[in-house]
Order: sequence, then structure tokens, then C-alpha cells
Amino acid sequence: MEQDGERVLSDLVFWLAGAVAVFTAWRVFRTDSMVRAAYWLMASFVAVGVILVLLHADFLGLVLLLMMAGEMTIMAIFMVMFMMNPAGLNPMMMVHQHRTSIVAGVVAFLGLAAVGVFAVFPVALAVPTPDTTAQLGRELLGDSMLVFETAGVALFATMIGAIAIASERGRYGTADEGSVEPPAELTNGGAP
Amino acid sequence: MSDPAGVLRLLFLAVVGVGAVLMGGVYAVEVLDRLVGRAVARMPLRLAEAAAAPAREAGLLLLQRRTVTERPDAALWALAPALLGALAAAALVVIPLSPALALPDIGSGIVYFGAAMAMVMVAVYVHGWSANSVFPIIGAYRFIAQALSYEMPLALVLIAAALPAESLSVGDIVRSQSGIWNVVRQPLGLPLYLIAGLGLAFWGPLNFPDAADLAGGTRAELSGAALLLWHASRSAVLVAVAAMGAAAFLGGWLGPWLPGAVWMTLKTIALLLVLLAAGHLVARVRLERFVIVAWTVLIPLALVDIFVSGLLALRGAGR
Repeated sequence: MEQDGERVLSDLVFWLAGAVAVFTAWRVFRTDSMVRAAYWLMASFVAVGVILVLLHADFLGLVLLLMMAGEMTIMAIFMVMFMMNPAGLNPMMMVHQHRTSIVAGVVAFLGLAAVGVFAVFPVALAVPTPDTTAQLGRELLGDSMLVFETAGVALFATMIGAIAIASERGRYGTADEGSVEPPAELTNGGAP
Repeated sequence: MSDPAGVLRLLFLAVVGVGAVLMGGVYAVEVLDRLVGRAVARMPLRLAEAAAAPAREAGLLLLQRRTVTERPDAALWALAPALLGALAAAALVVIPLSPALALPDIGSGIVYFGAAMAMVMVAVYVHGWSANSVFPIIGAYRFIAQALSYEMPLALVLIAAALPAESLSVGDIVRSQSGIWNVVRQPLGLPLYLIAGLGLAFWGPLNFPDAADLAGGTRAELSGAALLLWHASRSAVLVAVAAMGAAAFLGGWLGPWLPGAVWMTLKTIALLLVLLAAGHLVARVRLERFVIVAWTVLIPLALVDIFVSGLLALRGAGR
């Protein structure tokens, strides 16, 4: 009886969080501002974090929330910085290449749905041990350390490279020609 | 605990308990802030006036009409103050008043606290952005630079406090201090935590997003009930910062003679007084200087704190 009650409750939270995740993810593409899109995406990740906590991965779920708060804000600011709309509040079209993206979306959905329906998933009957955080730590800093460190360094290098490429064309000339700010004091009688 | 009725009862207790702590804490902050301000200025304290003033000002704000800006994001603008208050309430959930007066201890309590406090960045940024006005959005962008600077020291010193406990649960962190408090064995922890906490609650010397030089920053266009809620929510964040500081560094409910909840309350009030006094005594610094100091001084010091605490914890574990 008690087991049933717990199951009904966690099922309820799961479906609720799932519905919120899907709805907010859909809103990401229907809004007209980069800041709103970023925070709809964050709302979707919050719902996914709740599902992770339901799966006894409470550390992963909470870290997801912790990282996404900063990450989505930084993403919004970078999008505002690199695009033509300075404040990000004026409406703009958030989707482009409609035909390509529709085809890609349908193909991806059908592929993932086929995997979900036809694949045979292993059923683990073992009850998860309470200390999933310690297990995660041993995995991250044990057998899989090389994989994660390599991925981390590669991602970091990619970020720096992407910013270097995107910011090459600066306000005071291109970066490789030496982007130098004009002197602060007036020269030439103030003429530009 | 696992049956629905038990869960509902727990939710009810959480809402009532955390709500009471939050309301009491916010009112205490408002009263103490006035008293600290008068004490710093060597003025007569006038206790009765200080105790009544917040209620009177809140009443006045509730009667004030709401200002509007041109084409704001009305939903986000209305939600941001509520989000800030909700985050403070969510953070208080994992902080035990005493072993008896605590909600079920979740294993990753300190990560949960960190997640709630990281979302403060979202609440403040959205608050400034959604008003569609100049000063608020400058305040919002300021807070991002500020948040990216205080978050690393904040997270590092809290992780260092968790190391001797070998657990991320706040209850275990308090229990690990039964011999010696973290404020003694990690002398760098509490000062760094309090500086980062001032930044988190954008209070006093680190009030950059709502600063006077921006005519109030993110709250420049705010009036009435919304201003009251924003103000109270910011005080609630300060309460959460002080409560977690008391639990992680001052031994929480541990102490002789008095009941645990009384010790926890006294320690929280002591930290609140330190934070409020900093608001009255320390001059506001420039944001650029704070960012530079945070990245070149505070983060390296926090790393030293975590390495030394880790070495001590390893030595303790090997014994």
C-alpha cells in the first residue's frame, strides 16, 4: 500500500515534470527574444533536473540546476553581444532555414522514437544504493577520468576558438591587424 | 514519509515552518538594519520606533500605486521579485534549526543550496531586463559581472566546509563540527563566505545592481507592492546567507546549556549583525575593482582554503 502510494506520487511528479520540459522546450522556438528563449530553455532543464532527482541521481539533478542558471544567463548575454539587436528586448525571428530544420526535426524525432519503441532495454532489478553521489565520484575520478578530462579540455579549447573567430572583426579594426582603441585625448582639433 | 498523506503533511510543515522563519527573518533584518545604522552613527537607538518602522513603511508601499514602463515584459517583471523570495525560501529548506526542527535531510543539501543561490543571478538579471528601461538593464548587466565573480569563492568555501564531514548534507556538516568549529579549522572560510554572501544579496558595499548611482538600478522603475516584495526578497536572501554561514562555519545548533534551535538563531543573528554592520561601515567599491579583487585575491584564497581543508581531511581519514 505504502509502496503504491509512493509510486503514484513519483509517477505524478514525473509526468508533470515531463510535460513542463516539453512545453517549455517548445516555447524556446516560439518566442521572439533571445533572453526569453534562454530562460525558457532553462525552465526546460529545471524540469529535467527534477526527473534526474526522481531517478535517484540527486547530485546530477541539482548540479544541472546550478550550472544552467549561470550557463543560460551567459548564453543570453553572448547572443545579445554578438547579434545586431543590442538589448535583446526588441522582437526578432528566432528560427531560420525552415524546410531544413523541419526535415531534421522530423527525422531526429522518428529515429529517437524508433529507438524508444523497438530497442530492448536491460531491466535492472537491483535497488539503487543510497549513495549514488559517491559512486559518481569514483566513476568520474577513477576509470572514466581520462575520458572526462579529455572532453573537458576539448570543450574549453572549442569555446576559446569560437570566441576568437567570432570577435575577430572588432569595433576598432580586425583583431589580426591589431585592434587598437583611439587615444582618449582629442587630436586634430577634435575632427574624427 | 513515503505515503502521499505523509508527503502532504511534510509539504504543509515545510511551507508553514520555512514561511515563519522567512517572515520573522526578513522583519528582523529590517529592524536590525535600522538599529545597526543608529548604533554606527552613535545615535539613540529608539527601539520601539525601529520595531514599528518596517511595518509602517510596508503599509505605505502597499497603498502606493504601481508605476508602468513602456512595453515591459510584464510577466517576467512581475515574477522576478517572487522568484527571488522563493529562492531564499528554497535555500532555507535544507538548513536545520536543530536536529528536531529540521525537514528530512537530503544527501546533497549543500549542492541544493548552491543551486538555489545560483538562480539568484537569473532573478536579478530578469528583474532588470524585463522593465525595458535604461537604468534597470545596466543594473542587470552589472549583476552578471558581480555574480560570476562571487560564485566561485562561495562554492569553493562551501565545498571546503563539506570536506571534513565527508558528506554534502548540511546536517552532517554541522555534526562534523562537534569537536571544533569550521570557523577555527578553516580560518579563511567564513570571511570569504561573508564577502561572497554580501555580493549574493547585493547588500551594502556590494550593492551594484540596485546602486544609488543608477537611481536604484533594477528597481529604478519599481513602486508599491512590487518594490516591497523585491526589498523583502533581498532581505530574505541575506537571512539564507547568514543561516547557512551559521550552519557551515559556526557549528549550527551545537552549543552548551541552551536548546539547539536557540543557538542556531543566535548564531544566525550574530552573522546578520556582521553583514548589516558591513553595509553601514564599508564604503561602496567600484564594480571593476570588486571583479579584479574577486578573481585575483578571493578565488586564489578560496582555492588555498579548499586544498588545506582537503589535506587535513585526508590526514584525518588516514588515521
